Amino acid sequence: MPAFYLIVITLGAFYLGYRFYSKYLAERVYALDPNFKTPANELADGVDFVPTNKHILLGHHFTAVAGAAPIVGPAIAVYWGWLPAIAWVILGTVFGAGVHDFGAIVTSARNRGQNIGTLSGKVISARASTLFLLIIFFLLTLVNAVFGVVMAILFEAHPGSVIPAVIVIPIAMCIGQWVYRMRGAVLIPSIIGLVLLYAAIPIGQMYPIHIDGLADMLGLSVRTTWVILIFAYTWVASRLPVWLLLQPRDYINGQQLLVALVVIFTGVIVGWDTITAPAVNDVAEGTKHWFPYLFITIACGAISGFHSLVASGTTSKQIANETDARYIGYGGAMGEGSLALAAILACTAGLGSAADWNTAYASFGAASGGALDHFVTGVGHFLSNLGIDAALGASFAVVVVVTFAGTTMDTGVRLQRYILQEIAELAGFKSLVGKTSLLTTLAVLIPLALALAPGGESAGGKGFAFGQLWTLFGTTNQLTAGLALSVIAVWVLARNRNPLAAIVPLTFLLFMTSWALILNLLDFLAQGSWMLLIMDAGIFVLTAWLIVEAVTALNRQRRTA
Amino acid sequence: MAARSWRDHLPQGSRGPHRLILVREQDAQHSGSGCCGRLGEAHTDLGGAADYRHSRVLMQDIGAVYREVRARLPELAVEVVDPRNTVWLYPAVWQDARAAGRSARECFASLRRAGAALAVILDGEVLFSGRMPQTADVLAIIEQRLAE
Repeated sequence: MPAFYLIVITLGAFYLGYRFYSKYLAERVYALDPNFKTPANELADGVDFVPTNKHILLGHHFTAVAGAAPIVGPAIAVYWGWLPAIAWVILGTVFGAGVHDFGAIVTSARNRGQNIGTLSGKVISARASTLFLLIIFFLLTLVNAVFGVVMAILFEAHPGSVIPAVIVIPIAMCIGQWVYRMRGAVLIPSIIGLVLLYAAIPIGQMYPIHIDGLADMLGLSVRTTWVILIFAYTWVASRLPVWLLLQPRDYINGQQLLVALVVIFTGVIVGWDTITAPAVNDVAEGTKHWFPYLFITIACGAISGFHSLVASGTTSKQIANETDARYIGYGGAMGEGSLALAAILACTAGLGSAADWNTAYASFGAASGGALDHFVTGVGHFLSNLGIDAALGASFAVVVVVTFAGTTMDTGVRLQRYILQEIAELAGFKSLVGKTSLLTTLAVLIPLALALAPGGESAGGKGFAFGQLWTLFGTTNQLTAGLALSVIAVWVLARNRNPLAAIVPLTFLLFMTSWALILNLLDFLAQGSWMLLIMDAGIFVLTAWLIVEAVTALNRQRRTA
Repeated sequence: MAARSWRDHLPQGSRGPHRLILVREQDAQHSGSGCCGRLGEAHTDLGGAADYRHSRVLMQDIGAVYREVRARLPELAVEVVDPRNTVWLYPAVWQDARAAGRSARECFASLRRAGAALAVILDGEVLFSGRMPQTADVLAIIEQRLAE
């Protein structure tokens, strides 16, 4: 089947979802009121609360919710075939993410712009705030572990991409100096930065960076050495002021995201590529089955709990009219779904013949360990349709993924440092408070240990449990979504509206998450993967806790109603 | 059918021939923050208060201009936008500048200066970029331009 048809089907389904289901949500579930005075109007201070044009706000919202995760998940999940992956992206976006992101904006706006952490404490129970903190702790640990491995895998497979991926750092720092120290405008510097970055791609091809010598000297594998180097970089990066690296990199990432989406879709249309992956892959017995693993392998791209932090953080404080929440929340979810679609296209139509695809996705270990490699190869192929050398195109894709992953790790370690400090305070370890270096070291060492943990189906047979880590990450992301959906459901019920639109995806996610966690638990036990077992058990306890909190809150609300 | 512009989408009462765009960075991370992290303490309770202190200062400066403009020039359309939102910002500046009859050269000059951590743009003309004077002086210049 031509890949273009998949674009038409997916975007057509998104359109129908927006046209009909989001209308139903707006009118019957969230009962949007165009006369409701939003926090942006009620508290308009021009600082946090600013009534904002919905097109501007969609731009802010979408660039904030898009990242590397909606690429990694689908790139792994096509292991089960393109049909389950795209079906979950469509259904997840239309009936899950749309409800979740849209609802988080409305619920927060109706509560004076309070964020989802605070709202869970208010709407569900005081304990829910602690639950939120613990879920975020697990989530960040896993995020840092998986993205460290993602970058290592890419650097090992594409040594030609190391120079352009690394050169982003000084470019971003120069932009940071120019914008925040010199107070200059960013357009010309960011264009120069992008030109330099893209010019570095062929240079990188000419001078690929191999670290075999260093790895031999340390007595480690190349991949392990890369993981350690990446975490060392993250330790340093997360200690820098945000204006120096993290913030200016936002400009580069924003441009890269747009360029990547445009070239992928244009490349598919121009090349008229055919999907060579099977609709449903007949995986070997004993391998992970798509039911339930698909639903936690693709979190971002189908439904992601972290969107609720953006929705209830800044977006809800700036909507000018409550009815805009539909366009921004549901529209942003569809944008994220489109990114997942791009990843599915790259990994099902960009890898060559059916035999090539079968080799690339021979096992779940190969699928997960090589997921990003498959994505960049696919993007390289799409770029070759536009007359650009496939190897250069692949390097471009590596740079896109690595700049996003690097930003995510920088953020993750910073956040983990704050959370560790908060947990230390709660636990009475006052001596840890303010010890930035020590806390950063802990925030780096915990995910590093997890990233290097052997177990399960290793990535490419090289001793990592990347696929297992990714599915664990998916469970924590779905738990965050579950918490937000619980808040939305209770709030909808409190307004005497039918909460099923939120309860159905909530129940589905918690069921799939619990099931996958139990299967993982048995696997880890059988394999003796103790570190992963502890992580899995911890997340399972949080899931059970969330189920109890959600059921209790809904029952309490039903009795009140 | 007449071409539709951004002015057609403005709420009744605030529709006018002029538009002021206030550019300032939100004190929160943008890219990649929705899938796995969100740094920005004031809005998510995640992060340190000092991380985006520098952006917070700019937000408060622009906030003062915003409040004064809303109070003194209620008919003026005002948009507050983050410079990282390039998809909206640059076309809007270009469109406003062209609508105000500026030459292509002036339009490009406006684009060049528009995307700063702080900027004040009236009808496509960048009045301040990077730095701005006291709120009263900013208001005086805006009023002067509107009177011309």
